Amino acid sequence: MALTPKSKFVDQYVDPVGKSVPRIEGRGIVTGQLKYVFDVSFPNMLIGKMLRSPHPHARIISIDTSKAEALTGVKAIITAKDTYQIKFGSNEYFFPHTVDQMAIEADKVRYIGDEIAAVAAIDEETAIKALHLIDVKYEILPGVFDMEEAIKPGAPQIHESLNNIAVILPVNFGNPERVMKEADHVREDKFWCPVAHPSAMEPHVCVGQWETFSNKITLWSSSQAPFKCREALAKTLKMDLNDIRVIKMAVGGGFGGKLEMLPMDFAACLLSKKAGGLPVKICLTREEEFTTTRRKHGMIYKIKTGVKKDGTILAITGEVLADGGAYCSYGPTVLAAAIMRIFMVYKIQHFRMSGYRIYTNNPVSGAMRGFGGVQSGFAIESHMDMIARDLGMDPIEFRLKNITTPNMTTVNKMILTTNGLKECIERAAEASGWRKKRAQMKHLKRGIGIGIAADVMGSKMYKSHESAGAIVKVEEDGSVYFFTGAADTGQGSNTALSQIAAHELGVSYSRIKCRSGDTEITPFDTGSFASRVTFISGNAALLGGRDAKLQILEIVAREHNLNINDLDIKGEKVIFKKDGKSLMTFDRALELCYSFKYGKQIIGRGSYNPKTSPIDFRTGEGNVSGSYGFEAQIAEVEVNTDTGEVNLLELWDAHDIGRAINPQSVESQIEGSLAMGIGYTFYEDLRFKNGRVLNPNFAGYRLPRSIGIPKMNTILIETNDPEGPFGAKGMGEASLLPTSAAIANAIEDAIGVRIKELPITPEKIIEALKALQT
Amino acid sequence: MNVNLIINKKEHLLDLKGHETLLEVLREHLSLTGTKTSCQESECGACTVMINGKAVLSCITLAANVEGDDITTIEGLAQGDMLHPVQEAFIDHGSVQCGFCIPGMIMSSVALLEKNQQPTQEEIKYALDGNICRCAGYPKIFEAVSEAGKKMKKK
Repeated sequence: MALTPKSKFVDQYVDPVGKSVPRIEGRGIVTGQLKYVFDVSFPNMLIGKMLRSPHPHARIISIDTSKAEALTGVKAIITAKDTYQIKFGSNEYFFPHTVDQMAIEADKVRYIGDEIAAVAAIDEETAIKALHLIDVKYEILPGVFDMEEAIKPGAPQIHESLNNIAVILPVNFGNPERVMKEADHVREDKFWCPVAHPSAMEPHVCVGQWETFSNKITLWSSSQAPFKCREALAKTLKMDLNDIRVIKMAVGGGFGGKLEMLPMDFAACLLSKKAGGLPVKICLTREEEFTTTRRKHGMIYKIKTGVKKDGTILAITGEVLADGGAYCSYGPTVLAAAIMRIFMVYKIQHFRMSGYRIYTNNPVSGAMRGFGGVQSGFAIESHMDMIARDLGMDPIEFRLKNITTPNMTTVNKMILTTNGLKECIERAAEASGWRKKRAQMKHLKRGIGIGIAADVMGSKMYKSHESAGAIVKVEEDGSVYFFTGAADTGQGSNTALSQIAAHELGVSYSRIKCRSGDTEITPFDTGSFASRVTFISGNAALLGGRDAKLQILEIVAREHNLNINDLDIKGEKVIFKKDGKSLMTFDRALELCYSFKYGKQIIGRGSYNPKTSPIDFRTGEGNVSGSYGFEAQIAEVEVNTDTGEVNLLELWDAHDIGRAINPQSVESQIEGSLAMGIGYTFYEDLRFKNGRVLNPNFAGYRLPRSIGIPKMNTILIETNDPEGPFGAKGMGEASLLPTSAAIANAIEDAIGVRIKELPITPEKIIEALKALQT
Repeated sequence: MNVNLIINKKEHLLDLKGHETLLEVLREHLSLTGTKTSCQESECGACTVMINGKAVLSCITLAANVEGDDITTIEGLAQGDMLHPVQEAFIDHGSVQCGFCIPGMIMSSVALLEKNQQPTQEEIKYALDGNICRCAGYPKIFEAVSEAGKKMKKK
């Protein structure tokens, strides 16, 4: 029986780009039926647990696992002697010497939580008991926990690198020292940006299975980058890439924290092998999340700027110290991003800034949403505001004088094509009533402040390319299977990429079934980071849709003796390009493809690699991204000068997103970023004492909750980027970058005090007010 | 011990240990994995269920203590493929991102709306303050709750 394509697929979302289609996983989420790795269970599945160092810095003298092995219910234990002791890292491509962590450390531990063994047992209780039975002898070494202490000669050495400095990044352009002398005004500031934690609601979780009969591994992991995870597993387990399959299921949030393979992923696989192939599941507890997973770098950000009387920036110099903790992770590139983002925002010719990525015996810093930009955003945008104040200029006027423009090449060779920064500032100012409020609120202890930012759409971070692929398979019954390697971690990329593929193919959104992030089935993708997915994976989706469309049109053209170049598919119909007249329905065209006469399978493919050049870290030069996104944000606050409490009244965010593939989704990404920015401004502050996390829970580390959310206004600026899929840019991170500064700037506008150390607590406000009076 | 739990209107006679939480029983004994484990210390709300019409954290509720009570989990809201108005509103208003907090968020919302179908913005925020959404779709969640209330009132 022939399968007839069904028009039931045609919905109100024909040609869905630009429409707020519902999330592809929507019904699964709201009914609780969507499966996360946390929800996975297999017959005979074992529970794994990691043994972690209780010391911040110590040599491992011996590990005795014999008592634990004798415990009933324990199925496998691994220590470093069961591994190849191969190090892994995430900046391998640019900074090979920063590959510095073993999944199971052999000789030394460098932070409280460092993994030194792992256990698999029949249940959690037994696994925990077994951990207590492992006898480890340590020689305790002196630790160092403060960046400025760590770089002093004579400080305890954590790795082999000199003075605990893993990487120095000198970024130099022009002659800032000479030009600074010509400045009418020079201002210097120092900021502290604390350690924040990604804290996805779904803790890190994985299930590893090592099929002993085939010697192949499957890892189900809550990963933002399954292909990257596979590479790290292959390297550390000495396996071929094709021996390992990493499957990403629904992921309950990532925010940078799930970008890398962690020791638990490695351990689950190896424990499974030792347990004869039984699957091993490892779920981190919330405390392990806070103490042992990657977090935002704490940074000391020093910046000095020389300006002319009219506000023109002449030169900038500075220094950034980043607390990396025990291992490098993505640290060097985070540091680079913290320094170089400024070139996307301000026109600068003379610049010198040095970055130091410093080892301490604190937990490991790595990627977190914003990737260095949250710290630099707070520092730079606060600093710029203070300069405007020094000059008696309106902060918006000051920024408009110095911002980058469309079609310019920055001093470090970034090529900015579309650039909606000016429009973002103007639209946010207009919507917020900036001019009126700035002039009138002085007596009210109310204030208004602005911050601006820009972001990349991807970056070559761990390989020589950052390509994405897509497969668009159009079935005989009219359904469309769309395969992408991109990892949806909750941001909605499955939905947005499906919209792009469906739109280019000319059909309804409901025809699409999306399969993503499975290293054996879907095409390669570097992962969800650097706001790259809509732009890079989106271009692959577009090309995949186009390829499938051309295959269908080829059959139609042959059947009707037409030129394929005259035809297109739009709105579920094959049409003539010249007048838009319909030739036949999409379903009819498919019937032709799958007819007795043609029997042609439609399998479209797309591959996209952005036209960029890698950054040369010796000079800071390189066009790192195929397009750049921009944004401006305004905050209005009211401050209680008796209690020091800040009431954040309203936020306005104007964002150059190129084109909104799904406006509702874009808004929720912006709102989520703003919320995260609010958290970083007011309370997210992971604190440490001698390497121990003092607040490893949601009671001590407060996240934004309903009551702290002000009215948020989002303004989408569509600049239609020529390189973006349907003009779209990525936008997952930029809205988070200027939030802290916009709020700090509004506070100074309201009550005249300046807070340079986050978070902005009532105590700091009261202290600053006191200082103001004396 | 034997415990008789009434979950989503169905009775389950279970052999439990006294220390087992309702969350563990739902997920591990009954495979009702819609209720999520996130902090396990009553701080995040991901494990929220309804007991006798009230939003309750299942991670700090001993299963044996709720014997005979009327327990509703996220799996018990929809009737076949007919979604509950709150579930529908969460989809329509784009209130879901990663979705991990959503079952708990929906249970807290239903508990609120069953008592008060016209909550003010403040009442919504207060009712949901125990549910953390790290993707922070809060504005769109507030919108959905407000709209769902209107629909429930009409019915």
